[in-house]
Amino acid sequence: MRGVLFGPALTLFAGLSLLSAFSSAMDPDTHPMGRQSATSMHETMHAPVSKEPVILAPGYGPLSFVAPEAGSYRLPSFGQAPDGRILQEDGSLSTLHDIYGDKVTVLSFIFTTCHDVNGCPLASYVMQQVQIKLESESDIAGHVRLISFSFDPELDTPEVISAYGDHFRSLDADWLFLTTNGDAMLQPTLDAYGQWVIRDYDEDGNYMGTMSHILRVFLIDKSKRIRNIYSTSFLHADTVFNDIKTVLVQPDP
Amino acid sequence: MRLVFAFLLSFGFCLPLQADETCMSPYMAKIVGQEDYVYIWTLGMEGVGDGEDKLVTVDVNPESPNYAKVVHSISMGGRHEAHHSGLTDDRRYLWASGLDTSKIFIFDVHSDPSKPRLHRTIDDFVATTDGIVGPHTNYALPGRMLITGLSNNRDHGGRTGMAEYTNAGDFISSVWMPTDDNLQGAVKSGNYADGYGYDARALPRRNVLVTSSFTGWNNYMMNLGKMMGDAEAMKRFGNTVVIWDLHARTPKKILDVPGAPLEIRCAWGSKSNYCFTTTALTSKIWLIYEDDAGEWQAKAVADIGDASKIPLPVDISISADDDHLWVNTWNDGKVRLFDISDPHSPSQVFEQQIGEQINMVSQSWDGERVYFTSSLLANWDKTSSADGNDLQYFKLFSWDGDKLTPQFSLDFVEMGLGAPHQMRFGAHALYASKPLPSKTIAQQEH
Repeated sequence: MRGVLFGPALTLFAGLSLLSAFSSAMDPDTHPMGRQSATSMHETMHAPVSKEPVILAPGYGPLSFVAPEAGSYRLPSFGQAPDGRILQEDGSLSTLHDIYGDKVTVLSFIFTTCHDVNGCPLASYVMQQVQIKLESESDIAGHVRLISFSFDPELDTPEVISAYGDHFRSLDADWLFLTTNGDAMLQPTLDAYGQWVIRDYDEDGNYMGTMSHILRVFLIDKSKRIRNIYSTSFLHADTVFNDIKTVLVQPDP
Repeated sequence: MRLVFAFLLSFGFCLPLQADETCMSPYMAKIVGQEDYVYIWTLGMEGVGDGEDKLVTVDVNPESPNYAKVVHSISMGGRHEAHHSGLTDDRRYLWASGLDTSKIFIFDVHSDPSKPRLHRTIDDFVATTDGIVGPHTNYALPGRMLITGLSNNRDHGGRTGMAEYTNAGDFISSVWMPTDDNLQGAVKSGNYADGYGYDARALPRRNVLVTSSFTGWNNYMMNLGKMMGDAEAMKRFGNTVVIWDLHARTPKKILDVPGAPLEIRCAWGSKSNYCFTTTALTSKIWLIYEDDAGEWQAKAVADIGDASKIPLPVDISISADDDHLWVNTWNDGKVRLFDISDPHSPSQVFEQQIGEQINMVSQSWDGERVYFTSSLLANWDKTSSADGNDLQYFKLFSWDGDKLTPQFSLDFVEMGLGAPHQMRFGAHALYASKPLPSKTIAQQEH
């Protein structure tokens, strides 16, 4: 058989940190971002690092197919988007439902020290691309809110998550960066959204500042119903933007 | 240190190398090292143990003191025609369905991977889906499960549909397969638009979902000999593969693939826009591919054994590098390996008898371990063999590129378990958990 990536069965390859996802449809040799992030996938592994390159998720490049036209398809409801208590960037307490308000919401769960290029950075990158699209369609922009929600309350204080957000959002964008004050506030929300997270600890039990997780981004309509869920391979600004338009013209699933 | 690790290959097509683990959803976490457990969805057999369907867990890690032992079994309160199973994209739950009762059992496999626990049962599948019967493939999509049907509650024939549920088990939507009287916008490219269903696989990179077609409840619950002698029944098998718009969930093109195309396995290479299926009745490998003009086509590319002897190809498994395809033929109990490096011209390179009958095949990520089970359907399985054994088994072989070498074999009848069908892998590393200290006996739950 031609080239074996991982070698024999006993080769250590990846720990759970890889659950933050990797892979893509694009060829790293031809993609504009090339192999620059080739090892980031492995930075949080428990195991020795593979020398194999990370291949960037499709969300970093042009969509490899013609997306179905907005409004030409249905996005049935997954059910009500759960509520949960949060801290805003100014440190004030609020709830997700209050934050959603009457907007179509794109919600991603992230943490700012996530190094996996196809994990949280992908979510923030794609949402930034959605932001750019919204800026060019002002009639839609007023109906849409972007939210990045940290699941690392230990490191991502309101000040930290706000500073992180400033790297991505434009001045007039409706893009909020949220966090919590600890696990008691955070965990019920993660459980309700099915956002599985495992903290990585070293052999002495010290938190390593990294987490294993599966990337989840949610599209929530104005009635606070989940209308789509995206993961690494499915997250692309073009399809997210078309889905936003679809739920705007099809408010009832 | 346990040499078992896993990672999420949530898209999967980036690398030219993945393995069965190779045959699951590209959206799902994958075990790329040594798997710890194989979860075997097992048909209950009258007079064998408690006679109930079971999820049987076998420890397959050679470093474990319980290697090659059944470490857990949970009975399902009756027989449901246990058939296929599948994991959610986060691999925390295993969905296992029954073709007869149309129940879907959701097992928690993350809390203790050595001891799956029944988490939820969906017992209103037919009513909720407006009449879909026989949940077959349980396939992970982002945050949800796609369930293909085999039949319907109007006539229990082959017309059927697909349904989607949240990972938590709540119904989202359903769609019926396109038929002559309702093509749903699809192009009928040949002679058939039968509306039958069986397997499904996604090619997210091309925004394509591929579905195949088998037969309805009236046939799959009928005695095999009786059905084979019923000319009318033998006409009621699927002859189609449907290409869907994956994002919109709408059918785009109906391809003629006569003879009951069953399992679908898509290539993983980043530029390999094709899938394989095999036809049960005509014993052929079919290539489903996107041509240079961007049109999806189907063509028969190889014979599997001697079709006149009805070898009946069942499960297939594509290798990590897209170069080889394992093909099981139920009737003669053989596995065959095809070189598919030229997908348009596969050639058989290996053949071996595995048992009296054979159905499912699952290989490890690296292709070095190949697992087999024996059972097809309760009313189709053989009930006797020349030497009285090798009828219902779970077997592990090592594969070195030239030969299969037996590692262990479990006789599921002798052990009072039943008829083993679909296999799925489990590993503690998926959940940052470690195995509990020595468990030496199987635990049985009811």
